Amino acid sequence: MENFDIRKQGPNLIVWALLLTLPLWINYVSYTQLGTQIVAMALGAMALNFLLGYTGVLSFGHAAYFGLGAYGAGMTIRYLMPSTGAGIIVGTLAGMLAAMLIGPLIVRLRGVYFAMVTIAFGQVFYFIAFRWNGVTGGDDGLTNWKRMPIDLGFTTLHIESQATTFYYFVLAVFAISVGIMAFLLRSPFGRTLIAIRENERRTRFLGINVNRHIWISWVISCTFMALAGSLNALLNNFVDPRAFFWRQSGVFVIMCVMGGMRSFWGPLVGAAIFIWLQDELSSMTANWQSFVGLVFVVVVLFFPRGVLGILRRKATE
Amino acid sequence: MSQLILLAVVNGLIVGAFYALMAIGLSLIMSLSDVINFAHGGFLAVGAYLAYSMTPYVGFWGGLLIAPVLTAGLGLLVEKVLISRVYGRDPLYSLLLTFGLAFIFEDVTRYIWGAQGLPYQVPGWLMSPLSLSLFFLTGYRVFMMALIMVVVGALFWLMTRTRLGLRIRAGTLDLETVSILGVNVRVLRNLNFGIGIYLAGLAGVLAAGQLGLQPTIGDSLIMPSFIAIIIGGLGSLTGTLLGGLMIGVASGLATVFVPSASEAVMYVMMAVVLLVRPQGLLGEEGRF
Amino acid sequence: MSFLEIDNVSKHFGSLVAVDGVSMKVEKGELRAVIGPNGAGKPTFFNLITGMLSLTKGRITLEGQDLAGVDPSQRVGLGMARTFQITEIFPDLTVRENIRIPVEIQAGLSMSPFMPKAMRAPISARVDELLEAGGLTRIANRLAGELSHGDQRATEIMMSIALKPRLLLLDEPTAGMGDDETYAVARLIRRIHKDQGLTIVLIEHDMRVVFNLADRITVLAEGRPLAEGTPQDITENATVQAAYLGGEA
Repeated sequence: MENFDIRKQGPNLIVWALLLTLPLWINYVSYTQLGTQIVAMALGAMALNFLLGYTGVLSFGHAAYFGLGAYGAGMTIRYLMPSTGAGIIVGTLAGMLAAMLIGPLIVRLRGVYFAMVTIAFGQVFYFIAFRWNGVTGGDDGLTNWKRMPIDLGFTTLHIESQATTFYYFVLAVFAISVGIMAFLLRSPFGRTLIAIRENERRTRFLGINVNRHIWISWVISCTFMALAGSLNALLNNFVDPRAFFWRQSGVFVIMCVMGGMRSFWGPLVGAAIFIWLQDELSSMTANWQSFVGLVFVVVVLFFPRGVLGILRRKATE
Repeated sequence: MSQLILLAVVNGLIVGAFYALMAIGLSLIMSLSDVINFAHGGFLAVGAYLAYSMTPYVGFWGGLLIAPVLTAGLGLLVEKVLISRVYGRDPLYSLLLTFGLAFIFEDVTRYIWGAQGLPYQVPGWLMSPLSLSLFFLTGYRVFMMALIMVVVGALFWLMTRTRLGLRIRAGTLDLETVSILGVNVRVLRNLNFGIGIYLAGLAGVLAAGQLGLQPTIGDSLIMPSFIAIIIGGLGSLTGTLLGGLMIGVASGLATVFVPSASEAVMYVMMAVVLLVRPQGLLGEEGRF
Repeated sequence: MSFLEIDNVSKHFGSLVAVDGVSMKVEKGELRAVIGPNGAGKPTFFNLITGMLSLTKGRITLEGQDLAGVDPSQRVGLGMARTFQITEIFPDLTVRENIRIPVEIQAGLSMSPFMPKAMRAPISARVDELLEAGGLTRIANRLAGELSHGDQRATEIMMSIALKPRLLLLDEPTAGMGDDETYAVARLIRRIHKDQGLTIVLIEHDMRVVFNLADRITVLAEGRPLAEGTPQDITENATVQAAYLGGEA
């Protein structure tokens, strides 16, 4: 926090100004719940990008941890205790624990092979949610639970009935989470992760146990992904096995790429565009899936750097 | 009881042969082009539906013969127009590209042929059981197994005895050297993709006869195919074949004893292999 | 006991014998060059020292410690740093960041989720010092990937120096460079060798570099040791002349 540099801080100021004022203007273009969904999914995309964009490791199975967070939250509220806070904590810890256990099996792998194994592991949870009918509700999803008001002692947040209150609650969780990730990325540990992304061999020959660093980055990434999953489940008061499905993983990856993997806020921009687009398309045509697929193809072929990558390039030219 | 186990094993072998057919195609493409083809299941569905649409004109056998070839043609086109553009870039992009294609394939299939399941007619004489005591062993199942074995055998012959096959295998080991030696890598990758898609199309037609037609027919086969590759070892076709049959039999047996674990058992096997032998059963060490 | 002792090492790849019974003793503070014609097994020999390949036979010790079973990143911990024939740096980061990362690693911070206040000033000072010593100060804020070949090599060497190694291994440091760049890199190597009294082992193609820099030279041919001595010994050695220098002149 040496000198306040308006050029460096500009993007941060714009992002926070837009997010903080969102309930004031969102109704002109959409609705508050969609804004909440964007913030929750953006947290997931940014969590993935911690690994994808800043450690250079290609995970295509992050939906598993998104789903664990979602089911963890929903099942806690339904079966254990009707508390939003407890749901979020259990959901997040469930994702973290799974990531810690699966990590050692996959950190030795690289590239497409890593991607393929992460997808396959993700599917395990899909089948558990799908098969374990009695507890998870199976294919129909987990119902009969909803987010609860949060008692802070001096006041109660009625997130269950006031859309705007819930939005700010999600935004607060988002702010803390991305704050932690930004802090880590600017630390020596974070720089070591970036070094791995830049040149794994060089990093190994600087004496770093690369696999251990990737494991830690993986756990951090999956933990915040689980947190995002629990927020998204609370938004819907519902979760079904599709949260685990490999297609959901791909959606998070495209959010990162569409917004710009090398920019901190890129995944947020990507999430906003993707969710808004999906919302509009699905209300216009039954074949919205084709258009989503087309978005993938167009982004890959014509905008591989993403929106922020292009903007940044324009700015330096 | 022993007949129940026999039933499970035979069922497992048949399902496993499907997995292997898919997985070998995926593995060919992955080894030579560093692309995970998520659209593989989509191609499989296209093969199945094409066969369905042409059966009234060319019959079952005509469909079986022509549909996979047409699917392979579509594969060659898709590779040339789209996928070949992202070679040499971060594998991330090819994953996303084929991922998007998977969405499009499924949706277009649904748009053309409808979301409802469709029946697929197999000649009546193939559908009757071979004997009373082995009631589950229909002619069609035996025929499928035999055909898959013939096709896989032909593929192994292609890979080890023909110039194209030798070039493909050399390319998976060292693409740079192969290109220096004057092989046109673009054509090689294109043909290799076509071979992989042909296998997917064939699996589609055969699966349609067994399971009927749905736009998502490829979806249920693609994940086990990944697992077959991981277990068998990437780059080893024999390993992939073995992996497919193994998980087929394992999940077939699980269906009998612990039905709810029929999928889970594959993933457990995968986890064990990754723990003990990360490169897969027949994979080479140090490749990944 | 010498600083680095390589005792009768061999490496077989199947039936191919790439390195066959090579011994070499390097004293502390020495600059040793390993030369040899193509196919002499230099890269393999080098990778046996860094641990990228495992020994088929023989023994390597660093200050008496046996290196058997010590993997490459652990050898860094023992004080071994290396550069690669094809420069390995962080292309999308600035030169300053390229140097800063190994400085922080050397300070034991690679797992640290925050920068301890007390470390801030010393780390910055050390980064500046290394940039200066490598002649990189003027390009400190440029992306490493955009630099000339020679500047990238200088960056890579200074990244290794940042680890405060006891032994620096240089794999063809001037490979693929023009005369000016070769000269600049050779000067940098001489300077770090003299200034810090660092022990250096390098393999090199460029004979001018070798005969100017090295205290002693080891000549390999077809995986076997052919000769060893001062640059003068080697120039006068008839066997070497015949096997190698004669062929090239």
